[in-house]
Amino acid sequence: MTHDEASELLAALALDAVDDAEREAIEEHLVQCPHCQSELDALREVAGVLGNSVEPLPEKLWTRIASGIYDHRDVTPPLAALTGERLGAPITHRRRSLARRVTRSVALPLAVVVAILSFQLANADHRASQLQHALASDHGEVVAALATPGHQLVNLTSSTHQRLVQFVLVPDGRGYLVNSQLPTLAPSQTYQLWDVIGKKAVSIGLMGPSPRHVTFTLAGTTGASELAITVEPSGGTITPSTSITASGAV
Amino acid sequence: MRDFSDASDAQLVTSVGRYDEVALAEVYRRHGGAVFGLARRVLDNGAEAEDVTQEVFLRLWNAPDRFDPMRGSLRSFLLAQSHARSVDIIRSQNSRRVRESNDAMKTARANYSIQNEAWDLSLADQVAQALASLPEEERRAIELAYFEGCTYVEVAKILNQPEGTVKSRIRNGMRRMRGVLAEHGVKEVENS
Repeated sequence: MTHDEASELLAALALDAVDDAEREAIEEHLVQCPHCQSELDALREVAGVLGNSVEPLPEKLWTRIASGIYDHRDVTPPLAALTGERLGAPITHRRRSLARRVTRSVALPLAVVVAILSFQLANADHRASQLQHALASDHGEVVAALATPGHQLVNLTSSTHQRLVQFVLVPDGRGYLVNSQLPTLAPSQTYQLWDVIGKKAVSIGLMGPSPRHVTFTLAGTTGASELAITVEPSGGTITPSTSITASGAV
Repeated sequence: MRDFSDASDAQLVTSVGRYDEVALAEVYRRHGGAVFGLARRVLDNGAEAEDVTQEVFLRLWNAPDRFDPMRGSLRSFLLAQSHARSVDIIRSQNSRRVRESNDAMKTARANYSIQNEAWDLSLADQVAQALASLPEEERRAIELAYFEGCTYVEVAKILNQPEGTVKSRIRNGMRRMRGVLAEHGVKEVENS
C-alpha cells in the first residue's frame, strides 16, 4: 500500500471501518511511516472523544475482572483472539516467568541447607485477592502487610507464565499468602515452599495440600532471590524432588 | 493500602506492569465506565459489553507495555480496544449485522441522539457541537462507521454513495472534528 493510499484510509482505520486486509496493509505501512502513525494516533484520540460515553458499571463486573486475572484458563483464549484478530502485533510476553531458570538451578544436585525459620500454616477461608481486599473488606494481617511501607509483592508463575501464587513480603522478612490458584492436592501430598539462593534451595516450609493461609519469614536468610513451590509427599523433603510448580523473583 | 488517587495514568500503567492489582483497580475506576459505555453503545447488549470490558482490562493486565503514553491518552487507548473488540463481535454475527445495517439505513439518523446518551457531561456538549458542525453526509458516514460498526464499504452501500466518496467524507469529517474539538479546548485532542 502506498503512502497516499494508506493516508486516505487512516481516518477509517481510526474508526475500525476497514476490513482486515486493509488494516494489515495499513499497519505494514505504519511501521515505516512515522508521519502516518502520528496522524493515526491523533485520529484515534478524536475517536476516543467521540466514543467517550460513560455508563454506570455493572455491579459484579469488577469481581469478574479481578478473579479473571488469576484464572488463565478463561483469560488466555479471548486475549489471544483479541490480539490476533484486531490488533496485529502479538502480545509481548512480559509475564515471562523465571520458572525455567529456577528449574535449572534447583534440578541440579544441590547442597541444600534446610532452614525452616518460622512457619505457620492454617487453613482458613482466605481467598480474596489483594485487589478484593483493596476494594471490599479487611483481611487482617494480609491487609496490614499490604499497607506496610516498603512491602513487596512476589508473584510465582508456572512454566507457562500463569500466575499461581502471590505473596506479600514486609521489610522485617515476614511473608503472607495473598492469593493462590494452586489446585488442591491429594491428602498424601503437600506444596512445599523454597527459598532459592544461587543454586541452593532452602526449604521455607510446607504449605499443605490446599494453601489458603500461609505465613512465613525469610529472616535469617541472606541473598534471597527467588521463591519456588514444588509438590512433595505430605511430610516434605530436604531437596526438591519434583519440577517447579511455580516460582518468582523476590 | 496504597493510594493511587493522585497517580497519573502513565504511573498507574507502570504499576500494573508490576502486578499491582490496586493500580488496575484505579484504572478501572477511572476508565471502566467509558470502556463499558462504548461497548454497550456499539453492541447494544449489556452482557456482551461486559465481556468486552473484561477482555480490555485483562489485556491491559497482561500486556501493559502496549500502552505508550507518548502516543495518546490511556482512555483513548482503552476505548480503541473496546471499540475494536465490539466491532469484531458485530462482524462475527452476520445475521444480526444484516439486520442492523438495514435498520441503520432506515433509522440511523432518526434514532441517533448523542444528547440522550449518558455521556460525560464535560465532553457531551463539545462533542455534540463538533458533530453538529459537520456537514450532514460526513456526520452520517462517521456515525454509521463508528457506532454501527460498518466498514466504509458498507457505509457506501447503505448511503448509496461511491466508496471513494465515503472514504473522503470520513477523513474530512474526522479532521474537521479534530479541529472543532481542539477549538473547544478538549485536552486529549489538543495534545495529540
